[in-house]
Amino acid sequence: MATPSLRGRLARLGNPRKPILKPNKPLILANHVGERRREKGEATCITEMSIMMACWKQNEFRDEACKKEIRDFFDCASRAEAARKMRSIQEDLGELGSLPPRKLNKLLQRFPNKPHLS
Amino acid sequence: MRGDGWGEGSPNRAFIMFRLLQGKVLFFTSLSLDYFHLKHSACAKQSLLLEYTVKILKLCGLTQVRWSRYGPEYQDPQIDKEYYRKPLAQLTEEETYERELRKTQVIKAAPATKTSSVFEDPVISKFTNMMMKGGNKILARSLMTQTLEAVKRKQFEKYHAASAEEQATVERNPYTIFHQALKNCEPVIGLVPILKGGHFYQVPVPLAERRRRFLAMKWMITECREKKPRRMLMPEKLSQELLEAFCNRGPVIKRKHDMHKMAEANRALAHYRWW
Repeated sequence: MATPSLRGRLARLGNPRKPILKPNKPLILANHVGERRREKGEATCITEMSIMMACWKQNEFRDEACKKEIRDFFDCASRAEAARKMRSIQEDLGELGSLPPRKLNKLLQRFPNKPHLS
Repeated sequence: MRGDGWGEGSPNRAFIMFRLLQGKVLFFTSLSLDYFHLKHSACAKQSLLLEYTVKILKLCGLTQVRWSRYGPEYQDPQIDKEYYRKPLAQLTEEETYERELRKTQVIKAAPATKTSSVFEDPVISKFTNMMMKGGNKILARSLMTQTLEAVKRKQFEKYHAASAEEQATVERNPYTIFHQALKNCEPVIGLVPILKGGHFYQVPVPLAERRRRFLAMKWMITECREKKPRRMLMPEKLSQELLEAFCNRGPVIKRKHDMHKMAEANRALAHYRWW
C-alpha cells in the first residue's frame, strides 16, 4: 500500500467531513526513538545445577566428593556469562542494519528535527 | 572506568564522595543533572560537573576522593616483573605490538600498596584491605603478618610433635594454608533475592569468581570479629579459623554449607532467574 496521507484527516475549518484522526499530541517528529523491548531471558545452567545438588545430597554436601559436577557447573556458568557479554556487545555494535536505539537517540540529539524554519 | 564519562545508561544523579581534610569519609551529596542533558553533550557535561563540584568543594573546604582524575586514555601500570623479563625474541606479534603501544601511552601511577616484590600477594593485600578499619593500613598489615606468624608457629609445633610419617603431611607454609583455607571457604552457589508476585524469594544463582572470593574473605573476617572471646586478639583467632578452614572444619565452612543447603532447598525457584 502507498504511504498513508494526512489530507483531510484532522478537524480543520477547511475540512468539511468529520475528523478521521484526533491526535492528543502534536504531530511532530520527536528527537528520540523508543527503546527495543527487552527479550524475556531464561535461567541458564539448570541441569548442571540439579546434577550438582543431587551429588551433594548423596555425599552430605562435601565438596571433595562432587568435584566433577562442580567443575561442570562452573564451566557452564562461565560459558553463559561469555555468551551474555557477546550478545550485549552485538547489540551495541549493530541492530542487523540499523543502530541501537541509544546511539540513535544521541545522533538525533546532535541533529534534531526542526519544526521551525529558522 | 567508572568516572570517565556519561555513558548512555548512567544515572543522572552523581554521588560524589567527599573527605574532610582530617581524612575520614563523612557524607556524600548528590547533584541532580536532569536539566543538563537537554542542552549539553557528554564531554561538556563532565567538565561542567567538575566545575560545579570544584566550586561546591571550595565552599565547604572538602577534597574529592572517590572519582579518579585519570582520563580514559590512561593505562594501568604493569607491576609484574616477569612481563619485562621475557626476551624480545620469544614475544608473539600481539605482545610486541602491545609493548610498542605502551611506549607511547600515558600510564597511571601505581598505588603505594602494589609492589614488584616477590613477597607481594594480591590475595593477602585484598584481605588486609578488607580487615582495615578507618584507613589504618599499618594496623591491618601488622595484624596480617602476626596472623601468618601465628599460623606458622602453630604448624611448626605440630610438626615437631608429630612422628616421622606425619611430618610429611603437616603443611608449614602459612601462605599455602591461607590460600587453601580461603579456597575451601568459597561458596559454589549463591542466593539472590528476586521479587516475584510481591514476595522476595531466595533464588540459587551461580556466582562470579570475584564474588566467591569476596564472600569467603568477608565470612572469615566477620566470624573472627564477632565470635571472638573478649580478651583474645585478632591474629590468634584468625590463625585458629584459618587452620580449621584448611582442614574443612570450623564455623566458616559451616556457613558455606548452610548456604549450599539453602540453595538446595530452593532449587525449584531457579526458574525465577532471567539470566
